[in-house]
Parts: sequence; structure tokens; C-alpha cells
Amino acid sequence: MSQPKEQENVVSRLYQWIKNGLDRTVYMGIQYTYPKRFVSPLGYLGVLTGIVFLVLGVTGGLLMIYYQPTLSGCGSLTCAFASIERINNTVPFGWLLRNIHYTASNAMVLLAVLHMYYQYFSGRFKIKNEVLWVTGVILGIITGVEAFSGYDLLFNQRAGLAIEIGSSLANASPLVGGTLRLATFGAGFTDFVLRLYAAHVFILPMIMLILVFVHFPRYLVFDLPVISTVVGGLFLVAAIFPVAVGVGYSPSNPQLTIPEWYLTGIYALLRTEFDKFVMGGLMPALLFLMAIVVPFVDTSKKLNWKDRPFFTALGITTIAQVLITTAWGFYINPNTNLPTLSRLFVDPALYFSSMLGVTVLSFAFTYAFLRYLKAKERVRRAVAPMSPLLTKKWVFIIFLMLVGAQLALNFFAWTAALANLNAMTLFDVGAILVTFGVIAHLYRYSQSLPF
Amino acid sequence: MPWGNFLLSSVTSSGAYKRLQAQTDNIAANGVGAGKVINVNDLTTFPPNTSWLVTYPSSGDNSLDSQNPDTFLKFQIIRLPTELGGSDKSATAFVAYSKVCVHLWCSPNYDPQKSTNSTYETYQCPCHGSIYQLPTKDPKTGDLVDAGKAIAGPASLQAFPTNAIPMLTLTADSNGDLYIEPPRFDVEHNGVLGYGRDYASYQNYILPVAEGKQTP
Repeated sequence: MSQPKEQENVVSRLYQWIKNGLDRTVYMGIQYTYPKRFVSPLGYLGVLTGIVFLVLGVTGGLLMIYYQPTLSGCGSLTCAFASIERINNTVPFGWLLRNIHYTASNAMVLLAVLHMYYQYFSGRFKIKNEVLWVTGVILGIITGVEAFSGYDLLFNQRAGLAIEIGSSLANASPLVGGTLRLATFGAGFTDFVLRLYAAHVFILPMIMLILVFVHFPRYLVFDLPVISTVVGGLFLVAAIFPVAVGVGYSPSNPQLTIPEWYLTGIYALLRTEFDKFVMGGLMPALLFLMAIVVPFVDTSKKLNWKDRPFFTALGITTIAQVLITTAWGFYINPNTNLPTLSRLFVDPALYFSSMLGVTVLSFAFTYAFLRYLKAKERVRRAVAPMSPLLTKKWVFIIFLMLVGAQLALNFFAWTAALANLNAMTLFDVGAILVTFGVIAHLYRYSQSLPF
Repeated sequence: MPWGNFLLSSVTSSGAYKRLQAQTDNIAANGVGAGKVINVNDLTTFPPNTSWLVTYPSSGDNSLDSQNPDTFLKFQIIRLPTELGGSDKSATAFVAYSKVCVHLWCSPNYDPQKSTNSTYETYQCPCHGSIYQLPTKDPKTGDLVDAGKAIAGPASLQAFPTNAIPMLTLTADSNGDLYIEPPRFDVEHNGVLGYGRDYASYQNYILPVAEGKQTP
């Protein structure tokens, strides 16, 4: 690719100097591309997960300045909860940081799960990619633990529930139970909040960074328009669904709460009231173990999901089961006249028979669908290539309109920030990022127009 | 490895727990006994079938302790009902239960109304309804047995020895002032907070100490 020789100036010389300097660093060893046209984001969901991890790092680092991982000294409230309330209500931009951090944590868990399933169904996880896959599964588990330890730090009612269940699960594990609980949770809430804080802000992220370097594939795709849109979308969601601080945790006055959506599955399993360790420890471990083992079992040379019906059906089954158990975790009998324990009780007969039911249904559905696809394959239609949607003139007009919108949004965000309209500010900043994504894509699109 | 034994302010500089006077927290729930050192001879301020919240280990500042929200430092000292020897002017008239339920770490509360029936289902957890009993009289020997054993709710379904609430050992000096003996937080002695206790230990360990006998 020959490019027209650019005129040298101070800026270009500085750019070249930095680029040559970085040539000897690890960053130049990573191969990455900025795609010239739109490619499906499904292929680089991992990169998007990493970007959200960066967002979490930046917002989390700023939240660390105001968060107090202690209990006593703040009156009847725990200092942990009081400092969260302070961040939310008084610290400048604290509300924004907390909401972005919360939504990004959910987005990261979601993106990691989607990334895993795409890699699974597209068959990229196998044949020489076993190490990438296994480190990915471990990263996924650590992401979950990181999210769990993060929302425990709030010390509100919901955090209290998670703390109690986490400690009781550690207690329930055979042989190492007591030691495990003492090592991770300490001798009380005072130890506990400090240890989880250390784990959340340093230990776990460091382990994740080390694993990420193993997990990197040869190619990374940095699609600026999509990254900008995803981060902007994250801000929009955070603005539209802001999360309340909740009620402070008080062990003598507990409320009935539900954990975060990625933990309701385990919550439902525990509420069948069988052995804690089997339900809360072994059952999720079975799923993770299956995920780790699968590339060593599915060793066929076929990559397409249509060509390996058993493993496709297995994947569909896990999705169906996770969905069922997650949805069940949200359900608490609304009859307040019943004692708490029977309101929480999940009938194991109904629960496990429905789990078995979706397994059978998933397999039957997958095999039937693949048979239908095979029959349809024979009458494949030719698809006409798509002509360009826009002419250069219209690209230019839309470009100008978007830049105008961008300026207006900046003005709105500024006035909203001055008027203390937190959600409005966050919404506008999200919209700015999304608009920037569209502008960047439009620019990229216009470069490839034939006329 | 005693990973949990490094709680801030819980130990002396030499690393051992201290013997401390049982001073109640200065809170409204403690009634007329609030902020005072419990005296076994004072049946008007500290009557039978009543309970007080105390902080152990104390930071030395009662007002600071009273506001500390860490329930792992909180214990409910209960003066037993009269029929269980609650009017005796000795440390055996008292028990000190941990405020951390061994099921899921909520805080059980003492309800004196429920001590009128023979089962003494008085120490109940608000979360899932686990009930820890007061010591009951052995029909043969007349000894008090099985203090703090869970008799209802999910805690009672847990495996031995994780089905009894941890307790503190109490003694009284010649003035009648109640003291908290340095606890040994393992299942055979005072129990592991938030985990459980071997409930026979009330007989074998806590009661002998309270009566001033040699500990096993």
C-alpha cells in the first residue's frame, strides 16, 4: 500500500519520534487492526470486555479516593455505607462515577458471557486454542468474584445478603471450610470489609491482568466507532436506570432482598434447602468444570455449530438452564403472611424436574432445527450484492448535521452539569460518545465509496 | 493457621485477649442497666429474664463501643429466668450469647416473653427464624445443659458442631461485678463466631470456669 508522501511538520515529526520509540516496547508486539469497514462486533466481544474493564479501572480508581473500607467511627451506620452515601450525594461527580462503575460491572459480566458463548458456538475455542479458552473461563470466574466483592463493599442490605451467603458457603465446604472462611473473611465484619476491599481493588484485578496477557490472541480488533458506541451506550443505560444506594445493612433488622442478576442462579439453588456446599459450590463448579473440559472432548475438526449437533445442543442446554435458574432466583413468594423461610423455599421437585425438562427440550429442539436447516440448505438463494446506501453528497450533509448535534449535546451536558442534573449529564455524555461513534463510522464509510 | 485472630483492637499488645468487666453498651435497648457494669447482686437493675448488649473486646471507650456496628464484637448477656436459677447471686445466673447467627450472620434477639413456656425459645434470629435455647435442666441430674443449642430453623439443621451459638465465659469477683474471661474462639471452647460451637462445652468448659473451678 503506497500512500502519498506527507509534508513534514512538527506534529508529524513528534508522532514519528514517539512511534519509533514505542517500536521496542511490548505494545508493538501485539498485532491489532483498525477495520476499514464495519465488521460484526461478535468477533471481538473480548476486546469490548477489555475496554469495559478499563472503564471500570478508571472509575474505580477515582471511587477509591472517597470510599472508606471500615465500619466503626461513623455513628450507627457503617463507615463503608456512609462513605458510599457521601460519594452518591455530596462528592462532585461521585454520582456519575458510581453509576458508571455499577453499570460497567454489569456490562462486563454480560459481555464476558456473550463472548464465551460466541466463541463456543463458532468453534473458535478448540484446536490449538485450548489455552486461550481455559484462561478465558478462569477470567470469567474471576470477573464474577470481582463483581461479587465489589457490591459487597457497599454494605447495604443487598451486600449483607451476599456477605452472609458467601461466608456460609465458605463455612460449608468440607475440610478447608473454617480455614477458608477465616482466610478470606476474617474474624468479623471489620476484617471482612478490609479483606474484600484489598481483593477487589488490587489482588483480583492483578490476577486478571496477568491472565489477560495469556488470553490475548494474535490479533486484536480495535473498532473505534463500535467501542465509542458501546461505552456511550453504557453511559446511556447508567443514566436511564440509575442505581439507588439502598438501605444500610443492619444484621438485627434485615430485609428480604435479591442478589445481583448474575448470582440469582446460585441463590435459587441454595433455596432448595439441600446441602449448602453441594448446591452453592458443586453445582456451579460442575458448569465451570464442563466449560474447562469441553475443548478436550470436542476434538473434531469441524468448527461450524451446524456440524457438531451434540455440542451445540449442550451449549443451548446450559443457556436454558442458566436462564431458568436465574429467573427462579428472582422469585420470592409474595404472600407476606407466610414465614420468611417458606416464602424463600424453592420446591426441589419442581425445580429439578424443570431443569431436566429444558435439557430434553434443548436437545430435541437443536436436533430438529439442524435437520430443518439441512433440508433448507438445498434450496439456497443467491443474494444480490448490496449497493452503497449513500452518495458522497449525502454523507457530507449528514456529517455536518452530526457535528452540529455533537456541539449541541456538549452544550446540553454542560448546562445539565451546572444545574446538578446528574442523570441528564450522564445521558448527554453517553449521547456524545454514541454520536462520535456514528461520525467515525460515517467517515470510514465515506472513504470506501466508489463515487 | 488462625487467620481470623488479627481483628483490630481485639487483642492486647502481647496478642492475648483481656479479662474485662462486663459493661453494657450505653444504648436505649439496654434499659436501666445501660452503660453500667453488670453486678450479680443487683437484682433491681439487672433482674432475672432480662438481657443486655455488651461489646467484647472493648476498645476501652464505652460510647465508642456503643456505636460500633460490627456485630462480631457484640454479645447478649442474659440473666436466666428465676426457674433456671436466674436469681442466684453468682455468675452461673448469666449466659453470654454471640450476636451472630451461625446460619447466615444475622443478629438474634432475646425475647423475655417466650421464656414462660418450658422450652425457652427466647433467642431468635430475625432472618430465617433460627432459635437458640437457654440452658435446660437435665431431668435426671438437675444440671443446666445444652446452652445455646439451635432448636429450630436452619441453624438447627446444620451439622454438629455448627448448630450452637458461640458464648462467652462469665465470672464474678467478690464485689459481685461480672467479668468476661479471655475467650478461646474455637469450637471446643467458646465457639467460632459466625460458625458454631460444641454445645457440650457449656458443661465441660464454660460452667467450670464460671464456678471458679479448674478448666479442662
